[in-house]
Amino acid sequence: MNIYLLDDIKKLQLHLTYQYQLHQIVKNNQGQSHWQQISTDQFPTLLHEKAQTSIKDFFFAQQENILVFNGEYFQETLPSPNPFVLFGVQSCDLVAVNYQDKFFKNDPYYQARRKHCLLVGLDCISPCEHGFCPTVNAGPGVRSHTADLILHPLVNQPLEKPQWLLIEGSEKGAMAIKHMTIKGQPLETAHWHYLTQRDLTLKACKQKFSDDSHINIAIEKINNNNVSAVFWQKVAIQCIGCSGCTSLCPTCSCYGTRSIKLPNDNISQERFWDSCLYEGFQKEASFHNPTAEAGKRVERFWRHKFSDGIATEFDRYGCVGCGRCEQTCPGVIGVHSIMKRIANDA
Amino acid sequence: MVDDLISTICPYCGVGCGINLKVNELGQLKSVEPQSNHPISQGKLCDKGWSTAYAVTNKNRLTQPLKRIKNEFFPISWDEALSTIAVELNQILDDSGPKSIGIISSARATNEDNYAAQKFTRTVLKSNNIDHCARICHSPTVAGLKQSLGSGAMTNSASEIFDTDLIMVFGADPTENHSILGGHIMQAHLKGCELVVVDPRKTRLAKLANIHLQLNLGSNIALVNAMLHVIIKEKWYDENFINERCNGFKYLAQHVAQLTPVSVEAITGLKAVDIYQAAKHYSQAKRAMIFYGMGITQYMSGTNNVISLANLALICGHIGKNGTGVNPLRGQNNVQGACDMGCLPNVYPGYQSVIDTNIQTKFSNAWQCDLDPLEGLTSMGMTKAALAGDLHALILFGEDPVVTDPDQNHVKASLKKLDLFVVAELSMTETAKLADIILPAASFAEKDGTFTNCERRVQLVNQALEPLGVAMGDWQWLQALAKKMGSDQLNWKTSEDVFNEMTSLNPSYEAMTYQKLAKNHGLQWPCNNENPTGTRLLHANTFPIGKARLISVNHTDIDEPTDDEYPLSLTTNRLHFHYGCGSMTRNSPLLERETPPGILFINPENANTLNIAHLDAIGVKSRRGYIETRAIITGDVPIGLVSMPYHFKEAPSNQLTNTAQDPVTKMPELKACAVSVIPLPKGVEPKSIQQLLEGD
Amino acid sequence: MMLNHIPDSIEIIDYKDDGKDTRHYRFRLLSKTHHSHWHETQAGQFFMLNVPEVGEAPFTFTEPPNEQNEFSALIRKMASVTSALFDLSKGQIVGARGPFGQGWPHTILKDEYILIVAGGCGLAPLVHLINTLIATTENKKIVLIYGARDEQSQMLIAQQKRWLKTITIYHTLDQVSEDSNFNDGFNLLKGTPLDVLPQALSSFNSLPSKVLLCGPEVMMNSIAQTSIGRGIPETSIYLSLERRMHCAVGLCGHCYLGDQYVCKQGPTFSWQQLQSFRSTA
Repeated sequence: MNIYLLDDIKKLQLHLTYQYQLHQIVKNNQGQSHWQQISTDQFPTLLHEKAQTSIKDFFFAQQENILVFNGEYFQETLPSPNPFVLFGVQSCDLVAVNYQDKFFKNDPYYQARRKHCLLVGLDCISPCEHGFCPTVNAGPGVRSHTADLILHPLVNQPLEKPQWLLIEGSEKGAMAIKHMTIKGQPLETAHWHYLTQRDLTLKACKQKFSDDSHINIAIEKINNNNVSAVFWQKVAIQCIGCSGCTSLCPTCSCYGTRSIKLPNDNISQERFWDSCLYEGFQKEASFHNPTAEAGKRVERFWRHKFSDGIATEFDRYGCVGCGRCEQTCPGVIGVHSIMKRIANDA
Repeated sequence: MVDDLISTICPYCGVGCGINLKVNELGQLKSVEPQSNHPISQGKLCDKGWSTAYAVTNKNRLTQPLKRIKNEFFPISWDEALSTIAVELNQILDDSGPKSIGIISSARATNEDNYAAQKFTRTVLKSNNIDHCARICHSPTVAGLKQSLGSGAMTNSASEIFDTDLIMVFGADPTENHSILGGHIMQAHLKGCELVVVDPRKTRLAKLANIHLQLNLGSNIALVNAMLHVIIKEKWYDENFINERCNGFKYLAQHVAQLTPVSVEAITGLKAVDIYQAAKHYSQAKRAMIFYGMGITQYMSGTNNVISLANLALICGHIGKNGTGVNPLRGQNNVQGACDMGCLPNVYPGYQSVIDTNIQTKFSNAWQCDLDPLEGLTSMGMTKAALAGDLHALILFGEDPVVTDPDQNHVKASLKKLDLFVVAELSMTETAKLADIILPAASFAEKDGTFTNCERRVQLVNQALEPLGVAMGDWQWLQALAKKMGSDQLNWKTSEDVFNEMTSLNPSYEAMTYQKLAKNHGLQWPCNNENPTGTRLLHANTFPIGKARLISVNHTDIDEPTDDEYPLSLTTNRLHFHYGCGSMTRNSPLLERETPPGILFINPENANTLNIAHLDAIGVKSRRGYIETRAIITGDVPIGLVSMPYHFKEAPSNQLTNTAQDPVTKMPELKACAVSVIPLPKGVEPKSIQQLLEGD
Repeated sequence: MMLNHIPDSIEIIDYKDDGKDTRHYRFRLLSKTHHSHWHETQAGQFFMLNVPEVGEAPFTFTEPPNEQNEFSALIRKMASVTSALFDLSKGQIVGARGPFGQGWPHTILKDEYILIVAGGCGLAPLVHLINTLIATTENKKIVLIYGARDEQSQMLIAQQKRWLKTITIYHTLDQVSEDSNFNDGFNLLKGTPLDVLPQALSSFNSLPSKVLLCGPEVMMNSIAQTSIGRGIPETSIYLSLERRMHCAVGLCGHCYLGDQYVCKQGPTFSWQQLQSFRSTA
């Protein structure tokens, strides 16, 4: 795979818009970072900040109709989006998409969207609030198999003259920039020593993360069954079942379904994001509920993120260290809070 | 895929969390996310907030005006709807006078809508017959705190939860009803803040608390008086604060001199030593805050309950300083605002009395018309007047009293007697079903305006979607109706115009503008020329009435004790995954799945005696009604007490609840009545109230 | 191979009542567009029934699709999907996806000494298996314990009467009324299946070589533990679990059991498997 030097990122954005709809993280007037489709050629600056909502809903839609029933037959209604590029995705979210790609490998709705997407990753060169990607092997640098193209901001560049490494991560990524030219010239190939510089920068970034030893201690306790049912029951008092963690978690994938009537009186089956923290998640029609106890549900959620069983199946833990649950949990049992309590008290 | 992200305010409870609506390229709302930098919610939402998209875009939304012909509704145009209403209202005004029409506005609508509603009542209909649902949640707060402190709102800001040493939660279940504030309390407690919970039920916070006083229903005053007794006897009160800031200490001290903890053991069901400890912890804490909810207000003694909490805070000097205060947790997103806007029969915007002639003159000059010099009818007064044939027309918006008001049979009967009943709603509610004309209301996502949260923060609501069908915002149709009736009193182009007119008349909102609200993530009133950036903490130097009043109050028994026929006490509670009558939250397939439609919490011992198993179908009977539901067996309610959420139209607790009222505010005693519970035969499904009534 | 979440259309051909709120339904597949394995259905596998405008729920086959594309299921009226189905009449069209999950380990059940314990509706997932075993097995001994709450909630009595020729059947009822029929060939006892377990076990020469369970989880746990206590190996005990399911293909997450999904790795498990999953639950 090739690496290039890039002085003007807007050239890359512009080039990609010839083939793709461009989506990028922007801030709204309240200062909130979120993904937005960029429809003008006034490309916003690349933000080194993860969006509050991960990119999973680009592929695994929050609500979607999966079929239509006309009274006689059921027909699949697959989405057919135009090709789109997610430009500037942080490593945690890319690792999560890679995880979801495996989970939804055979899901036609997920894959119908996914195959139209080009992922342009962006190396993080400083830690973010609540983030701990190095601890769970999900960042801060973009993993090569998780993005089609990788952007790395070169440090030690003067502010007014930023420079980027552009790294091909996949065949698809290479194809996307194959014909890209700048002022009539092909892209400038970068010397391999830039990759060394990238490694050093990422290593330095890793050093700047605060101490996350509680995460590792707690992972071990969870997998050695050293966390008692009583402990889970106690912390679960604080879970108000808001679904915030599962909504923001980039690797959560549970969904519910319901039958709905369409405006034209046809029937559809809708699938929508669900949360295993809801009391009703496993409740059967008979009211039998294997996880009626909140403690069991909270335990299940964290096991799903940190169990070795999952790690064996997916080659990694379910948690990618983005820290979104820590911010959004009203009950103060987001990832750092709970792992600290497991490490210290369980 | 998000095309646009609109920052607005969550439409559910009074906490007023920041929520972003994600609108896709087709202009549809499919999902939401929390605002990460909102001053209160800081990137969090509760389950209700997270499910907002289901509430706004549900298939049951009304999209055009409907007119009832016999028992069926037929779509009509706005023009026809408003003309019909205008003609009938004018006719009723001519025949029976202004007193024969009432308006009930909505604590869920914006300040602008509420301002328009009271102005419509006062300037077009020419009466003060305007009220809203605060009657059944926090009217005793307004009445009680107004007497004690001079102002009926939360004295603190939400952020002060992290600046205090002890939090006392009194008759409130904040993790369920004000989840984000409840979360703040949990967080503060985990960081070391002491937590005292006073509640007959083992609430989530009670399970985490340092002290849980599991008192008998309706014994709040007895408990507080005994605490006052201990604090005074042990000289744990704040003498300087009392001398400088309060009147009436001597009388209060005399009043509670005999009310020892031992003397109230029987009434409260608490051990004297526990009362003593609670008094000690509260009074000795460096800073202490009280939060209270409907477990205080929804009693015949509601106003006095509120006063007794004010007494407690005042003698300990736990008010007027950062991290100290008395805080009602208000139920609806804009119940504070609806009160502030003067949607009350006795006050104009800003709590300015309608019977004060100077104030009358002020409003009369501003609005350039004569005003009714007498107080109007409360919502329950309107119900009574309708039954008596004295009220002929009622316009109601954003409320479902048939489900949420006490004694619903009474409410239904009175609504049926009206000559004209108009309801503006998002979807077909039980109340709307009784209307002559239904107007399709715009949801919060479809309008601009402001909500005022429980910490007095006025926040901007921003339009994200086009109104569904021909739905309209409330002030817009009120304005159109006024025009049809021949009045140009309501004459605004934008919500901002309404707001600006209101701020010119409401001193607490004086210095607010939309620009300033946008810039500051909202502003807390009073926001005037002295406090141009608003006020975090009330009563820092003085009370609006100068010195606060310590008012001696007595315990009164609940109106309907248990007896052989009705051996269990029934109280009401709320579930964190539902809101009000459920007309919004029950559209979420996720929230609707959480429980069967209608439940009763019962202690294992009572269930065992009655031979009831978990989730069995049961019947519940009181002197006023009978409903069927399912039993949830839990130790969270004590023996002898059963509790029922009021969200479910199939099994409305208000078929059962008592209508005995607080003499000051007419607040009904929703929190206590006597019932009997019987198991239904195995395999029998509970019948909904609709089925039960049809069966009669 | 992409998954297909779309039901094939099926027609309600017939139904007849069996016990209280329970019906035998006979369906005919009108299309096999979305699912191609209907004719490979194994005993103990299930399908998702789709009642348009209401929703989906899992049901087991009492008879798998035959050459005429007809299949049967025993369905009890429980909540919205089944209530809506009960309101439909013959000839109406609904949907079905399947077959899903792992069935009973039928290949290792031939010529074995088998104890089957079922509670309530739990007999339904065993019907097809018992029929197959009776029809195909030469040297066999099969004993069935069937427990129900009361006589009204017993089901598949006609079916069981046919089995009586070949196998021994014990009935237990939680509540026995005065007119309970003790004389139609079943060994009837008041109590639960656990109460007749010793008697049933001792009817085998040594011990049953396989134990199959289906019913309330509490019942299955107690029977399994007692059987293990009697020396039956954990690997010889099989049971079928019920869970809430939406997708039936291991995606929606609802039927999780530890790190596994009941719709995919189950619904039949060996006791040994189940214990290892539960330890991660």
